[in-house]
Amino acid sequence: MKKQPDLLPLTPPVFHILLALADEERHGYGIMQDVARQTNDALQLGPGTLYGCLKRMLAAGLVEESDERPDLEPIGEQHDERRRYYRMTALGRSTVRAEAGRLAGAVSAAKAKLGLAGGKS
Amino acid sequence: MKDSNAIRAMCRLYAAMLYAYPREFRLQYGVEMEQFFHDRCRELARERAGSGAWFRFLRRNTTDWIVSTWRERRASRTSPGIRKLVQEWAVTLLMFLFVTTSMVQAYVVPTGSMENNILVGDHMLVDKVGFENGGNNWASYMLPHREVKRGDIIAFRYPEDVRQTYVKRVIGVPGDQIRLEDKQLIRNGQKLDEPYVRHSSPGLDDYRDNFPTAPEFYTTGRGRDMFAGHVHDGEVIVPPDMYFVLGDNRDNSEDSRYWGFVPNNYLVGKPLLIYWSFDAPTNDYVDWNFRHIEDVALHFFSKTRWDRTLRVPSSQAAQ
Repeated sequence: MKKQPDLLPLTPPVFHILLALADEERHGYGIMQDVARQTNDALQLGPGTLYGCLKRMLAAGLVEESDERPDLEPIGEQHDERRRYYRMTALGRSTVRAEAGRLAGAVSAAKAKLGLAGGKS
Repeated sequence: MKDSNAIRAMCRLYAAMLYAYPREFRLQYGVEMEQFFHDRCRELARERAGSGAWFRFLRRNTTDWIVSTWRERRASRTSPGIRKLVQEWAVTLLMFLFVTTSMVQAYVVPTGSMENNILVGDHMLVDKVGFENGGNNWASYMLPHREVKRGDIIAFRYPEDVRQTYVKRVIGVPGDQIRLEDKQLIRNGQKLDEPYVRHSSPGLDDYRDNFPTAPEFYTTGRGRDMFAGHVHDGEVIVPPDMYFVLGDNRDNSEDSRYWGFVPNNYLVGKPLLIYWSFDAPTNDYVDWNFRHIEDVALHFFSKTRWDRTLRVPSSQAAQ
């Protein structure tokens, strides 16, 4: 399975969640923090949106649940809290790549058009 | 680091808010979402975030909650089928039906017979369970209630045409002896001071103001029965299980003087609350017409009597 074209375009939350999971497994709160970093705080996922997306991404096979384990970098000083981690699947990786390619195409098309328009003004 | 009371309270509130999500979603992700929320609160506390940041966080979180509950509910509806939907709505519908049929009833006042206490166009809720026998249904026996007293304003079915609901004030309860002497009400031999009464015409009408005299041509069948059976020595004597009612707009009110007593099982209830008062003529409330709809649409803001909104019609006993 290379990619599923019918998953594209991805919604911004789904796209950024996949990007957050591209380098490592993360738990829900870690995903939110990474998405905020990626977007300079423009996209701050709330719990409802985040877990709603994760539910659909799990169903589509873009991510999978990893194990539940104590947090590596604890928030606050509670080390004993266990969190569920999420990991990207191969399908997820190819999908996010396809989406990034699609967005790159859209951006270059926009640049070409707006470059001309910019020259006029 | 210990959590502050405020954070603990917010987390508990959020945990309660999670019940808005569909059950399966809540069971699967609820714990993680609580954890997420808790983490966010702790991080803000650690950053010593100002009230602006907390406010933004709470606002964003509330929006997230509204949007995602709606989305998850819609998503879960399509999968487990129409049954859930029916279940959810059935409860709502049953409660609605129960409340509207047995506890309150909406009612519009068509005539000015109770002016100035109740005006034409007052839309009110009638409490059907507050009185014994009110609304004549089981709920009025189950729930706390009291007997109708003199001075109470009541809503009841008009005895001559039970499709119509009237609102008047109770003047006589069973056993009371009532007469009018030049507009002055005399009950059981005592002159009553009635602060709620308005007299709109200075002239005297023998039938209206020196009641009871003798039936006139406009006295209805039940009114004639009253004259025939319950007038003794120039006084009306209220029979058992009946009420004698009069309008506050005493000179311009068709009431027990003209159509007799109200049987107590015709009682609908007690006017509870005026929820909307719209200034329009009697005709518009008696015969529903298109002009009235247009009138409401065009003059909703100017012709609504805002000062009457949410007023409680006062029941006051005469002294």
